[in-house]
Amino acid sequence: MIWNETKECMSRDEILNMQSARLKKTVSRVYHNVEFYRKKMQQLGLEPGDIKGIEDLNKLPFTTKEDLRDNYPFGLFAVPQSEVIRVHASSGTTGKATVVGYTRRDIEIWQECVTRVLAMAGIGANDRIQVAYGYGLFTGGLGLHYGAENLGATVIPMSTGNTQRLITMMEDFEVTAIACTPSYLLHIAETLEEVGKTDSIKLKAAICGAEPWTDNMRKEIETKLNLKAYDIYGLSEILGPGVAADCDAHCGLHVYEDHFVPEIINPDTLAPCKDGEVGELVFTTITKEALPLFRYRTKDLTSITYEPCECGRTLARISRFKGRSDDMLIIRGVNVFPSQVEAALLEMGETSPHYILIVDRVNNLDVLEIQVEVEERFFSDEIRKLEGLTKKIAHVLQSALGLSVKVTLVEPKTIARSEGKAKRVIDKRKLI
Amino acid sequence: MIRQLSIFIQNEIGSVAGVTAILKENNINLRAIASFDTPQFAILRIVVDQPEKAKTLLINSGFAVTMSEAIAIELEDKPGVLHDLLQVIADAGFGVNYIYSIVFRDGKVPLIIINTDNLQATKDILKEKGYSVAEQEDIIL
Repeated sequence: MIWNETKECMSRDEILNMQSARLKKTVSRVYHNVEFYRKKMQQLGLEPGDIKGIEDLNKLPFTTKEDLRDNYPFGLFAVPQSEVIRVHASSGTTGKATVVGYTRRDIEIWQECVTRVLAMAGIGANDRIQVAYGYGLFTGGLGLHYGAENLGATVIPMSTGNTQRLITMMEDFEVTAIACTPSYLLHIAETLEEVGKTDSIKLKAAICGAEPWTDNMRKEIETKLNLKAYDIYGLSEILGPGVAADCDAHCGLHVYEDHFVPEIINPDTLAPCKDGEVGELVFTTITKEALPLFRYRTKDLTSITYEPCECGRTLARISRFKGRSDDMLIIRGVNVFPSQVEAALLEMGETSPHYILIVDRVNNLDVLEIQVEVEERFFSDEIRKLEGLTKKIAHVLQSALGLSVKVTLVEPKTIARSEGKAKRVIDKRKLI
Repeated sequence: MIRQLSIFIQNEIGSVAGVTAILKENNINLRAIASFDTPQFAILRIVVDQPEKAKTLLINSGFAVTMSEAIAIELEDKPGVLHDLLQVIADAGFGVNYIYSIVFRDGKVPLIIINTDNLQATKDILKEKGYSVAEQEDIIL
C-alpha cells in the first residue's frame, strides 16, 4: 500500500514547490546556526536570500565526509544540544567516526520514511517483523525498529549474530517479514534448507539493504524463501535507512523527495548529469533539524529518472547502484576504507606497508582477507613468531575496522606495485 | 656450528622450486633441506656450500631470508643413538626447536642438525659428552 499518498504521489510541480519552500527555510536556518556553512557561503558571496527556490540548489556548496570529520563530533549540528535526542556514528576513513544527530522531529521523519518503505513492501500492522540489522551506533537496527513500530507491526528486535535463535523465533512466532542485509538473508535461507525448515516458515517480505546487491540476488532470495524482497537505501549522514527504496515494480528506488533532494553529478567535473546518465548521487536535506547538509556527496554511483512509476508514486527513482566513486568497500554492512588498513599497519610498525585486501563471498557471507608481505627486517625464522605476527595483525585490524579479518603472510615483492594509485583491493563478490 | 638459511615461502605449488631454481642457476650445492609448514606459509631451511652468496641471490630475487647458526652432529647409523643425543640435551635443560638431517656425505656418517634455545651451551655439553660436532667447512665437499 501507499502509506502517505499526499506526499508520495504529488505532481512534479507540487514536489518542486514544496522543495523550494523547505530549501529556503533550511538555508536561512543553516546560515545563521552553522559557522561552517556560513563561512562557505560567504566565500562564495552567497546570502540566504540568493536561494530563491530549488532551481538555485546548485549555487550551494558541496559537503563531503571529510567536512564531517573535520568538524568532529558536533561541529555541523544546527541545533543546541538540548534538542538533540540521539546520535549515531559510523566508521570514518581514518579511524575517527562520522557522527550524526537527530532531534525528536528528525526521528519522527526517519520513522515516517521507514514506514513508507515497509508499507510499500506490503507490510502492515498484522505482520511480525524481525529486525536483524545491528542495533547500536549503526543506524540499521534502530532505524528499521522505529519505522516498523510506527507502522504498528510487531517488532522482534533480533539484532545480529545468532542465526539459530533467529530461526527458532521465526518459526515459533510465525514471523512474516524480516529486515537484514541481503547476504545475511541468503545465509538464513541456506541454514533453513540445511535443517529442512524452509517450508515451515511464513515469511512473505524482506527489506534488505546496507550493502550493494544485484537483481539476481534478489530473485535467488525470493525463490529460496518464497517471499518478496525489497531494496532499501540510506546513509547515516542523510538519515539512515529509508532515504529511498524500491516497490513491486523493482524499477529503481523511490527517493523521499519531500525530505531529501537528489542530484546526480559527474564526480570529476561536478557538472550535473542528464536524467538516466550515471554519476555520483548527491543529497540536500530540506527538513533535517539537527544535521542539515547541503549537497552531500554520497560517492555512490547511480542514475535518476523523474518519470512516474507504474506503482502510482511520482517520486524520483534512482537505479540500482553501479559502484562507488571512491574506494570504500561495504563488507557485511560495515564501511571499510583501504586507508584505514594502511594506517593501522603503519601504526603497528611490524609489517611492510604492502598489502592487498581480498573481499569474497563464501556461503553468502562476506569474508575479508588481507595479504601482507613479510619484510626482510620483520622476518623471523621461527614459525610461532610468524604465527604470532599473523594473530597480532588480525587483532589490530579487527579493532580498527570492527570486522574480523583473515590475515595471510606472503613473500616480499609479490604484491603488484603500480605507479600512481596502488591497487589495494580485489573484490570477487561481483555485486555490480 | 654450521650456517643455515631460513626462507619464507607461501604454501603453494611451485614455491620451493622457486628457491631451488635460483640455487641451480648459480651452481650452489644444497647439503640439506627441510620445510616446516603451516596451512598458509612455510619456512624452508637449507644448508648450502656457499651460504652468503645464496642469501644475497635469494634476497635479490625477492625472498625474505635470514641466516642463523645450528649445531651439526655426527651420529653412527644404529638404533638408539638419536635418543641418547636428545637425552643429553634434555638432561641439560635445553629445548629443541627443530631437527633435520644431512644424509648424503659421500660415504661419511650422516649429520643431524639441531636448533635449541641455547645453541652454544648445547654445543659445549655435546662436545663434553664426546659427540663430534661439525663446522661449516666439514659440510663442503
